[in-house]
Amino acid sequence: MKEKTCYHCGDEVIGKGIIFDQKSFCCNGCKSVYQLLKDTNLTNFYRMESNAGAKPTLSNQHKYAFLEVETIRDKFMDYKDEKSARVTLFLPQIHCSSCIYLLENLTKIEPTVLSCQVNFAKREVAIIFDPKKITLAKLALLLDRIGYAPNFGNRSATEKKIDKQFLYKLGIAGFAFGSIMLWSFPEYLGVKSDDPAIRNFTSYLSFAISIPVIFYSASEYFISAFKALRYKSLNLDVPITIGIIALYLQSTYSILIGDGPGYMDSFAGFIFFLLIGKWFQNKTYKTLSFERDYTSYFPVAVTRLVQFDKGEKEEIIEIEELKERDKIIIRNEEIIPCDSTLLSENTKIDYSFVTGESNPIHKQKGDFIYAGGKLLGQRIELKVEKESNRSHLTQLWNDIKTTKKKTSGFLYQNKLSIYFLSILLIIAAISAGVWVFIDLTRVTQIVVAILIVACPCALALSAPFTFGNVMRLLGRKGLYLKNTAVIEKLNTITDIVFDKTGTLTNGANQHIEFVGDNLTNPQFDALYCLANSSTHPLSRSIVQYLRSKKIVSNYPIHGFTEISGKGISGSINACAIRIGNAEFTNQKELDSNETSTFILIQNGENISKGRFVFTSELRDGIEDLMHKLSGYNLHVLSGDRDKDKVLLEQIFPKNSRLLFEQTPKNKLDYIDGLKKIGKHVLMVGDGLNDAGALGIADVGIAVSEDVFRFTPSSDAIIEATKLWQLDKLLLLSNFSQTVLKICLAFSLTYNLIGLSFAISGNLTPLIAAILMPISSITVVIISTFLVYFKK
Amino acid sequence: MGMIYIMLVVSLVIALFFLASFFWATKSGQFDDDYTPSVRILFDDESTQNSNNQIENKQIDGNSEV
Repeated sequence: MKEKTCYHCGDEVIGKGIIFDQKSFCCNGCKSVYQLLKDTNLTNFYRMESNAGAKPTLSNQHKYAFLEVETIRDKFMDYKDEKSARVTLFLPQIHCSSCIYLLENLTKIEPTVLSCQVNFAKREVAIIFDPKKITLAKLALLLDRIGYAPNFGNRSATEKKIDKQFLYKLGIAGFAFGSIMLWSFPEYLGVKSDDPAIRNFTSYLSFAISIPVIFYSASEYFISAFKALRYKSLNLDVPITIGIIALYLQSTYSILIGDGPGYMDSFAGFIFFLLIGKWFQNKTYKTLSFERDYTSYFPVAVTRLVQFDKGEKEEIIEIEELKERDKIIIRNEEIIPCDSTLLSENTKIDYSFVTGESNPIHKQKGDFIYAGGKLLGQRIELKVEKESNRSHLTQLWNDIKTTKKKTSGFLYQNKLSIYFLSILLIIAAISAGVWVFIDLTRVTQIVVAILIVACPCALALSAPFTFGNVMRLLGRKGLYLKNTAVIEKLNTITDIVFDKTGTLTNGANQHIEFVGDNLTNPQFDALYCLANSSTHPLSRSIVQYLRSKKIVSNYPIHGFTEISGKGISGSINACAIRIGNAEFTNQKELDSNETSTFILIQNGENISKGRFVFTSELRDGIEDLMHKLSGYNLHVLSGDRDKDKVLLEQIFPKNSRLLFEQTPKNKLDYIDGLKKIGKHVLMVGDGLNDAGALGIADVGIAVSEDVFRFTPSSDAIIEATKLWQLDKLLLLSNFSQTVLKICLAFSLTYNLIGLSFAISGNLTPLIAAILMPISSITVVIISTFLVYFKK
Repeated sequence: MGMIYIMLVVSLVIALFFLASFFWATKSGQFDDDYTPSVRILFDDESTQNSNNQIENKQIDGNSEV
């Protein structure tokens, strides 16, 4: 059977799907988006990239009801007056140029929207709309309906300003560098003018524009060096600062005594290159959030039931205002914001966000429900037991904050700079001693020249470029690092700790087994037909399972009905078939922790029962990966019971430790224990129950099916489908150390050449102006080439 | 030789002009997003064919307020 894909979203179409306009769609949502685009002449959307659409989720009308409350709504608005309002929304679904096309043409779909501008890098849209004609809530619902559900979590706005400050600094340094070089041109050519006044004039001009460079552009280096010295430690910024100051004072002196512009060109160029290195290193993943906490995942507001004269009234309030004993309403797909008890009858709750376990958990009336679960099914009423900020989940989070990661202060470069600085001072002292006997008047000049030429500019550039390149390469392979410091920490790892559920195993990659009465082939055929008519994910899994058993058929179905939350039924070849939950098929549920779909086949007197059991399977390539990682000490910390122990023992090396039934606190303490005995720990986990462990480990990597969705705060995020490459990624990261050493050798060679000029008293501004950029550029080229040719 | 002084000052003024435009560009957010504009320029402007002038005008109004 040929597999069809949805014209809109590209998903596989199960069964017949929906045929519209001679194109097939996987669901009604996709079809209606297509219809909307066709009606508004926006079908170019499909021409740019095929199957580019984002699949809309079925959201209820109430999802954005909280935006109707004025105090809540105003928090999200950037600007509002009589005629227009501006809002910036975060749409995690933006992923390609077609998305930009669609969103920027939103005015055609909804004329009350005045303009819509996409920022692809941040996955944001800035929408200007007419507040009298459309409300923010309706706008949000419209975006949701076309597949771009806005996320109303907390987003930090502070980093923007710092970014711009940095660009200003870079601009000033570049401006000064260019101008001073231009004015120094006669010096380079050795042209001596008859009129010394011109030389003086250019010198003073250079001096004037170097003032903002040293006081503004270079300020970060001074601050960093000063901080290091105050804590009686050294970093690379200390020798850099010494070099900068020596360079600047020498040049200023030279200008004041009328001896030309000195090294001002080198000085400005030096700052410019250093800042470029920093800029390169800081270009991180703007769209990914490594610091996002649970609050951005929680709803902003919730519906509360309040006692009214006659009966109860619904009102929308912010989460913070919830009190104990309040009654609240949660609807399908909504997150439960606080620990509470269930007042309604049965329900199912998906805790995948907290535990990583994607199988929903059954709850009954009166059960205690922890915050963080997502409701699956009909709306429920809850009684609040603890306010949101005192819930189990929040406590867990606060635990992490108190045991905050101590930065080990290990930085390869900082260690290096201690040697560097001491050797430099020794050389300077010896040369000074020697020059005392040769020419007393030149001693100061020689020492200053040594300090200038030894300034580790190339050294300072090698690390940002090497780490920056490696980070980008890792990003392309699916491992996104928070910053370049993580690479250095990755290189010291001795132990790797894995979480099981959601990390080693995968919710979607399910193993299916049929348990129950022996079914005949025609009966399986009938099951296939019925399951094939439904788009429910479990039906889809069953269809795929049967297909793998070579069961494919196509019979007409009579009386097909689908009852959401229960199951599907229909009759095929005189057999009445039901597929669904236990109640729906008159059977008893045996183990509530098991995910299964029950079936009932009735053929006259003949009744066959059974169920499909879904168990999670290890991700592809995990077995191989463990084999390759045997150089590290491996550990598994699982929150589950030890039912998978045998399986894990088979694939993990013999000396690995496998621990089960671990609470989040256990995990945190275990890693803390490892660190106390001097191990460097890499934690790989996914759910919020690993958040503590991820936080305290030297490096915490969060595994995510979709990197733009919520992940607990961590040092890095890895795409779940790339986890099997972890060994290669670690190797690549280790390779950066080699590259760094090679760059180091080169930059030290240049320093030695420069030193020989300086010691012999031959360091002219011209030589400095040539050596400095050459050494920097060589290092940048070497690091880039080595990293990109490695792969 | 007095000419050289004027030339030097002119060169400084020109450089300052570019520095100022760089600052302006940074401040107005031109470096915030370096991907979207490259895609946006490729979109065909269909609204002219649609002769839906009302929407078109609104769009222009909206942009000027950004």
